[in-house]
Amino acid sequence: MPQSPSLSAAAGPKRPTELLRALFRRNETVLLVCLVALIVFFSFASGTFLTTRNITNVLGQASLAMIAGIGIGVVVLAGEIDVSIGSLVGAVGIPLVVVMNQTGSLELGMAAALLLALGVGVANGYLAAYLGINSLIVTLGTMFVIRGGIYLYTGQRAISDDLQLESFYQMGNGRLLGTVPYPALVALVLLVAFVYLMRHRPFGRQIYAVGGNPEVARLAGYNVKRLKFAAFVICSLLAGISGILLSSRLGSAVHVAGLGFEFQVVAAVVLGGVSLAGGVGSLLGVALGVLILAFLSNGLGMLNIATEWQLVITGLIIIAAVAFDELKRRRQ
Amino acid sequence: MPADAATAAVVRPAGPALEMAGIGKRFPGVLALENVDLTLEPGKVHALMGENGAGKSTLIKILAGVYQRDAGTVRIGGAEADLRSPRDALRAGIKVVFQEIALISEFTVAENIFLEEYPVNGLGSIRWSTIRKEAAALFARLGFDVDPAAKVGQLPVSQQQMVEIARALAHEARIVVMDEPTSSLTPNEVALLFTVIRRLTGLGIAVLYVTHKLDEVFEIADTVTVLRDGRHISTRPIGAHTHESLIQDMIGRKIDNLFPRERGAARGDVVVKVEGLSTDKLKDVSFEAKAGEVLGFFGLMGAGRTELAKAIVGFDPIRTGRISIGGTPLVPHNTRTGVALGIGLLTEDRKSEGLMLELPVLQNTSLAALEDFARAGFVDEGRERSAVQQFVDRFRVKTPSLNQQIKNLSGGNQQKVLLARWLMRGLKVIVVDEPTRGIDVGAKSEIFALIDRLAGEGLAVIMMTSEMPELLGLSDRIAVMAEGRITAVMDREGATQEAILNAAIA
Amino acid sequence: MSETTQAAKPAPVLGRLAENSQIVLLGLLVLLCIGISLGSPQFYSVENIIAILRQCSLVLIVAAGMTMLLIAAEVDLSVGASLAFSGVVAMDVTNKTGSVALGVLAGILFGGAVGLFNGLVVTRLRVNSLIATIATMMILQGSVFLYSREAVQNKHQQVAFTEISTGYVGPVPIPVIIAAVVFVAAFIVLRYTTIGRYIYAVGANQKAARLSGIRPERLKLLVFVVTGLLTGLAGLILTSLMNAGQPTAGRGFELTVIAAVILGGTSLLGGRGTLIGTLLGVLVLKVIDNGIIILRWDQNLQMVVPGVVIIVATYLDLIRSRANAR
Repeated sequence: MPQSPSLSAAAGPKRPTELLRALFRRNETVLLVCLVALIVFFSFASGTFLTTRNITNVLGQASLAMIAGIGIGVVVLAGEIDVSIGSLVGAVGIPLVVVMNQTGSLELGMAAALLLALGVGVANGYLAAYLGINSLIVTLGTMFVIRGGIYLYTGQRAISDDLQLESFYQMGNGRLLGTVPYPALVALVLLVAFVYLMRHRPFGRQIYAVGGNPEVARLAGYNVKRLKFAAFVICSLLAGISGILLSSRLGSAVHVAGLGFEFQVVAAVVLGGVSLAGGVGSLLGVALGVLILAFLSNGLGMLNIATEWQLVITGLIIIAAVAFDELKRRRQ
Repeated sequence: MPADAATAAVVRPAGPALEMAGIGKRFPGVLALENVDLTLEPGKVHALMGENGAGKSTLIKILAGVYQRDAGTVRIGGAEADLRSPRDALRAGIKVVFQEIALISEFTVAENIFLEEYPVNGLGSIRWSTIRKEAAALFARLGFDVDPAAKVGQLPVSQQQMVEIARALAHEARIVVMDEPTSSLTPNEVALLFTVIRRLTGLGIAVLYVTHKLDEVFEIADTVTVLRDGRHISTRPIGAHTHESLIQDMIGRKIDNLFPRERGAARGDVVVKVEGLSTDKLKDVSFEAKAGEVLGFFGLMGAGRTELAKAIVGFDPIRTGRISIGGTPLVPHNTRTGVALGIGLLTEDRKSEGLMLELPVLQNTSLAALEDFARAGFVDEGRERSAVQQFVDRFRVKTPSLNQQIKNLSGGNQQKVLLARWLMRGLKVIVVDEPTRGIDVGAKSEIFALIDRLAGEGLAVIMMTSEMPELLGLSDRIAVMAEGRITAVMDREGATQEAILNAAIA
Repeated sequence: MSETTQAAKPAPVLGRLAENSQIVLLGLLVLLCIGISLGSPQFYSVENIIAILRQCSLVLIVAAGMTMLLIAAEVDLSVGASLAFSGVVAMDVTNKTGSVALGVLAGILFGGAVGLFNGLVVTRLRVNSLIATIATMMILQGSVFLYSREAVQNKHQQVAFTEISTGYVGPVPIPVIIAAVVFVAAFIVLRYTTIGRYIYAVGANQKAARLSGIRPERLKLLVFVVTGLLTGLAGLILTSLMNAGQPTAGRGFELTVIAAVILGGTSLLGGRGTLIGTLLGVLVLKVIDNGIIILRWDQNLQMVVPGVVIIVATYLDLIRSRANAR
């Protein structure tokens, strides 16, 4: 056989410059650099930005988007999308507070909230994965159905938490050792768990495969529909957790909670390098995308820039990120 | 744990590994398979032969669980099997290597090999080190030159195909099906593949080798089954066949009858002139084509034929080079200019680049010529209809009406509509890319006759093909491509299969 | 291939119904009218019918553009936000210049500019139109508040401005006339012109269209701009109706429009659809809306209904294309 064995071992030891270049080709590295640059910029621009209080505040705020973003990340990696999470985040507060008011039990309230989230995930997943309806249409539809449902139930008023349980308050507002907000801890734990799941469990790899090339996945014997269904359920459950924490922060079930949240999260996910075509990207990237948008929003606030600018900037970032992703794919 | 088949202990069952009997499959408008039998013996290589559209790929897709049969029985190792999904097929020990690469391009080579079943530890975590080690060991054993840590999407097609083959062997398959596995391999790699196949049969694995290349069959196969037009024609030991008898079985008639040449040797002026054309895939391609001739381009998979076709009609961007049609340069380089100058592409991929599946025959036919029937932007549908009807009649397109959605027509009739689309426009040059792909034999000769007639009427025809009979039967001149270059140009009279293949490999 | 055939099992009755969606829609419309009038006789009052038609005209104007966009296999989710912003611009320019004509022009052109932006992002930057227009929606929702935090009132009480929506020509309200003109023009373009044919062609198979010498990008850009202009026009009428430019107006409007278009049988996958279907879709949705109001049901149902309709309509579309594929 006229073959040189040395050629086949192309994966030999790499020179440090090559390693560095490989590192910088990674999307996460670029994002991390952006994040650090952003933090450096704002700490010079505003004296109160780089304080423990402010940084932990931002982390606390970002954690809700982070938790939901992990879910959206999983769905988008599976080649689908879910824009109903904003409504869902608002909706789970209702069973939570109502059940808590009636039974006096935070646990039962949370169970009711998660049950609602599970129901929504099953509905989305069934319609999109099993019936095969375009997932954007499905979840746009459920987004309106859920929000309409909230308004119908509440008559467009907030439902107050009559019980005022300390444990309920602490969940969203408390801090570990007085510094790290509990929601940030929850987000971190979930992030670690899902990064592990997506990287080191067959299930995670199968999600990637299904999003990357459903036909190949099917030929490899995967149940494509079931995997996509599972992604929707995971996404809704994570949105449910995010919604529970949000209710705790708000201290009640607010009918307009989560309005526009879905687009913020999708923006962060896309910014984090997850391709809307499916199968490409990482949850670490998602986390960085969330943090960048959170610090950007916080920093702009500190510079007294109107909050509406944040919407505008987020919109522009989505376009830029997707256009960049598209350019990169066409280059290949 | 998926072990390398080469090391796995294989139990040799007494009877046949696979028996398919009376298999039938119907698609809308086409009877793809009718009463087909196939029996595979353990430890033997069984070749499945036939032209494009003979039903080979339908049969193996049934075997892979991708399609469900409409009639017939499948027995594996003596027991009746119902292959309802790819998963069922894998469980039944059938591994199919498809011609189209079925790999996740974002994953590494090693991970792709273990796609069907990831090795996991006691906690259910993937054992990445095992994957890396076993993949490397597998390639080392097979002698394949592929980096297991590379991303599949960044490998050339030939290496991807080797990954596919390796992947089939990583699992405990009792039946391995290979669909045109050599279409993008070099001769060295082909020899390597044959060594691997012999090792498989040595272990008692049944191999179904799907191809339309005669030489390979005589080298590797024990038995040959030939399909034609979805029907079983013959099953014989290879020793009972000659080249001629195999061709006879595959085509059912002499090649001469398939390619009725009526046009004369008339040659007009040069209408296409390509100089120093380079793109991402093409390197310094130059050629000319004259009015009234068929210039055939041959090349193996990945040689750059389709890329060339798309570049010269203005569909794909070019890096450098000059293209002129009838003396006018194709500038700006886009299809609008191309169509205006009179060059059009009959695409190889009818579904994604040619047909508007949801729309009727009428709209599909008149698309390129619509402006001829318009006044001040309004379409004169009466004139359009009568013009389209003329072409439909002339080309004998079988359709109930012009309002029929084109997706309900057979492949051959769809191809005629696409040809008519261009001829209505009045072209000087037509580029046809694999003009008979997915078309049954009867319609093939009609398409050939049409191409012959077009050239006779003074069009320059540039034909991209991977079918040797088509190339030799239709072309006046033959250009051979390899790795994005033209490696040889010859007259048909001077062309031999050997010379063409040698140039294609160079 | 087999995945779709496996999934194509659901009731053939549904498939056949979806096949004749226009007749079904017409039947549905008749049933709705009968049902609602039984519950509330005032349904047939002149005022109510005019109210319905006014509501319809607003949606229909934008839906005409959206139909073309969907046929060309694109979509615009920013029409709701653009509707509000163009209205604010129209009112503001009218106030500042004192000229209703200039205000009208500014409003429509603003909508057109948004369409141009969307079109450029989609055709030049190749951003998926769903995402691109969601982003545009966010940008518009943010910037409209930066432009004006409160509703812009008709400061000089220009009667000509309010006349746009409340005036009549004979017995017919002006918005209805505008919508009719838009509808007929769009119908003619789609049905009888080369541009219309090319829109279908590009939506059915963009590569095939390009190979035939058509420039899909330009055509799509054109359709985005037309949709934008029509959104501006609708925004103007809405503002005239409210006699003020509301930055918060038009929330969810995009969904109503898309629901109507898809309900009318236009495919989200491109290449298929008719304006007659869209007209029926708009009528059905708006009659339902009206029914919710005059039957004194909870008005929050108006949010739920289009959500359900859009899912069901897309599902029916899916069944239809699978039935065809067999």
